[in-house]
Amino acid sequence: MSAYDANLDYVPTWCPGCGNFGIINSLKKAFAVLELDLEQTVLVNGIGCSSKIGQYINCYRIETLHGRTLPVATGVKLANHGLTVIAEGGDGDGMGLGMGHFVHTARRNLDISYFIHNNQVYGLTKGQTSPTSEPGMFTKFTPPPLGNVERPVNIVDMAISLGASFVARAYTGNMNQLTDMMAQAIRHRGFAVVDILQPCVSFNAVNTYAWYQQRVRTIGGDHDPSDRERAKALAGIWGDEIPVGVFWREERPTFADSLPQLKGGPLTAQPLAGADISSLMEELA
Amino acid sequence: MRSDFSCLFAGEAGYGVMSAGSTVAKAAGRNNLWAFVVNEYPSLIKGGLNTCLVRLAAAPLPAHEEMIDCLAVLSQDGMEQNYGRVQPGGLLIADASLAVDSSRLARGVRVYQLPLLQKGSGDVAKIMSNSAMLGAFCALSGFPADLIEAVLASEFKPEVFEKNRLLLRATYELAAQQTAAAVFPLPFSEPPARRMLINGNDAIAMGALQGGCKFAAGYPMTPGSSVLTYLADYGPAFGLVFKQAEDEIAAINMLIGAGFAGARAIGATSGGGFSLMVEALGFAALAEVPLVMVNAQRGGPSTGQPTRTAQADLAFILNASQGEFLRIVVAPGDIEECFFETFRAFNLAEKYQLPVIILTDKYLADSAATHPFFKTEGLAIERGKLADPDWLAAHQPYKRYEFTADGVSARALPGTGGGRHIATSYTHGEDGFYSSGNREYAGSEPEVTVKALDKLFDKEPHILAELEAVRLYGPETAELTLVVWGSTKGAALAGMELATAAGLSVNVLQVVYLSPFPAAAVAAILGRSRQTLLVEGNKTAQLGGLVRMHTGIHLANRYLKYDSRAFTPSQILLKIKEVLA
Repeated sequence: MSAYDANLDYVPTWCPGCGNFGIINSLKKAFAVLELDLEQTVLVNGIGCSSKIGQYINCYRIETLHGRTLPVATGVKLANHGLTVIAEGGDGDGMGLGMGHFVHTARRNLDISYFIHNNQVYGLTKGQTSPTSEPGMFTKFTPPPLGNVERPVNIVDMAISLGASFVARAYTGNMNQLTDMMAQAIRHRGFAVVDILQPCVSFNAVNTYAWYQQRVRTIGGDHDPSDRERAKALAGIWGDEIPVGVFWREERPTFADSLPQLKGGPLTAQPLAGADISSLMEELA
Repeated sequence: MRSDFSCLFAGEAGYGVMSAGSTVAKAAGRNNLWAFVVNEYPSLIKGGLNTCLVRLAAAPLPAHEEMIDCLAVLSQDGMEQNYGRVQPGGLLIADASLAVDSSRLARGVRVYQLPLLQKGSGDVAKIMSNSAMLGAFCALSGFPADLIEAVLASEFKPEVFEKNRLLLRATYELAAQQTAAAVFPLPFSEPPARRMLINGNDAIAMGALQGGCKFAAGYPMTPGSSVLTYLADYGPAFGLVFKQAEDEIAAINMLIGAGFAGARAIGATSGGGFSLMVEALGFAALAEVPLVMVNAQRGGPSTGQPTRTAQADLAFILNASQGEFLRIVVAPGDIEECFFETFRAFNLAEKYQLPVIILTDKYLADSAATHPFFKTEGLAIERGKLADPDWLAAHQPYKRYEFTADGVSARALPGTGGGRHIATSYTHGEDGFYSSGNREYAGSEPEVTVKALDKLFDKEPHILAELEAVRLYGPETAELTLVVWGSTKGAALAGMELATAAGLSVNVLQVVYLSPFPAAAVAAILGRSRQTLLVEGNKTAQLGGLVRMHTGIHLANRYLKYDSRAFTPSQILLKIKEVLA
């Protein structure tokens, strides 16, 4: 067993059959593919079933508050931009409480990979609607006869629009592709979003493995991920067919690139003692 | 001869009355006087009355007084609201267009009306009006115009300076024709050491830079914002990154991320913003991530009074966030404490791995005073138990939250070999794992929970032993002990001096650190007091409640002020006389 496989001493508490098993295994494989230095890797997670992933991965991890993954990841990255920073959370965590942060983190294009475990339902609180739930879905908070009457958030479409510089979608039923999407996202320099379709075997009776199996289609090899219009058009497809793969990729400077303070190395490597504030005092003299 | 002199500059927002005040204050400070400057302004961008009170004296000033010797006014509102503040025999300088009702002025106030407001458009006219007002001020009060000019020369571009200088001189001549030579009551000379004109927020920001702060994040909220503005402006030269966040929740979480990664980080806000940050405050505490936050209080509740002062967030700050955890709350009382306690806050946050909140208020944040340059020799950065690779190699498996005698466990920063761990917002055991979320822990959850919470509080005696948490001013024992916290210190000290001069026996107890509460130290001092007077800027005697809760001592005499303005020494003297009568 390599360091990348180490589950520490804890048995995951996810339900048998949970899509999170596929996600954690793919993440470890992606780490192995990239030969990541785990000491230099920080995984930031939120709260929820999805976010428990941080408890079973053997790198530096910070398990934050519900929805607050991205600001914490931002702080980590700005403090030490030499680290590989990965943020993970669910559709509830990231698209509910965390939506505002998602919008602004995408604008900033920090070099962070963001993996969204999207099971279209709240799991840990036992089955309420999520921002990505399908219209008509019955949940504990949207009971029959009406069910959910709100439109779902389209993560891929939004990520492209907001300025994420790498946007992909993957499905936990295809671990090789998921591993590849994760590895590409981590390798990408900039804010990389992977919308990971993940059945919730306990609370989502609609978006099941069988449901996805019939719909998921890998984006054709003719798609050019630098074609924004085509990427947006692909992002709009959801129904009988659900495209997975890399939608959008662009190279543009990261937020950290714009900061002259970071040119000499990470903030955490700067000396703390000996600041000379005499010029500041002279300014007020 | 008078020992101090106060002038209130008043006018519509945008006419630079605040820069008029700070120009006079700087000119005084550069010439061996001491200034205390209080700005008052409504929460408006344009229009509305701004005032800037400059009090000058030959010795350092800890507070302002309401009564003034001179009112220099550019707007009718400024006149209407301040007639009653001009001392008998004082001076009123008003623009020629204003209607002056002399019957509302004290006896012997000399009134001078001059063309101060300048015609023309935009900011130029406003800056010029300011210079005209300063010219009249100098001629009529006797404050040397060349000292004012020297300050203006160092702050304006030469061509702008020259235009203003000419107007200042012209108005000076015009005003001088109307009066016999006025004599400014205080002596000017060469100061023995460099001095600056600095407010509390600038002092906090400087303390942060001196303390090795490398990251700041925040969302603007008066009166906390100017700490952030200062760091955004001057921080980069010290290697600091400031990030404007989308909201306060993002801001504090960014600070926690940076703190976890190992950068010293600071945020600043006011009560409303702090309210939004509260969940994350508990996160920092439970994950034991060092965090330094400034809360500059303004009037509340809710949006309250954005630009006015209050000391009403104490109970909130002490209890903010769910559950129980240890936090350090320090309330600096003056410029000196703003700087040094902020420097210390970073050491405390890292040594004890917890949140440190600097509790200040609009009065302290925004009022400027002449202050000698800070003496920074001997200030040492202390980072506490930081795990390096050698230590980690000898301590495997590494337990981030190892239970120790002092509650503090070695912190490994991401990137350090052998230190991989999980830092978490869940109640956790020594290795950081969720106390009940994992089967392996489920059986021992009650024990783990108790130890985890005890760990946070095991730090308390060490903090109390380290800190000089209370300060006593005046005689060791006195007839009356004033009990204060935060910015009230200045007015209380000056009030004590007035009382002493009046033959009364008074001392002042300042509680500098409000959490962990220095119960023993407070009880010892109050045990010696014959009588006490609690002086604080809120309605519910929050410090009083705290003292009673921790010491059982009831502070029955209370001077509580929640009228949106700070205490003044004269007001406190009246209360002292009432209690001792």
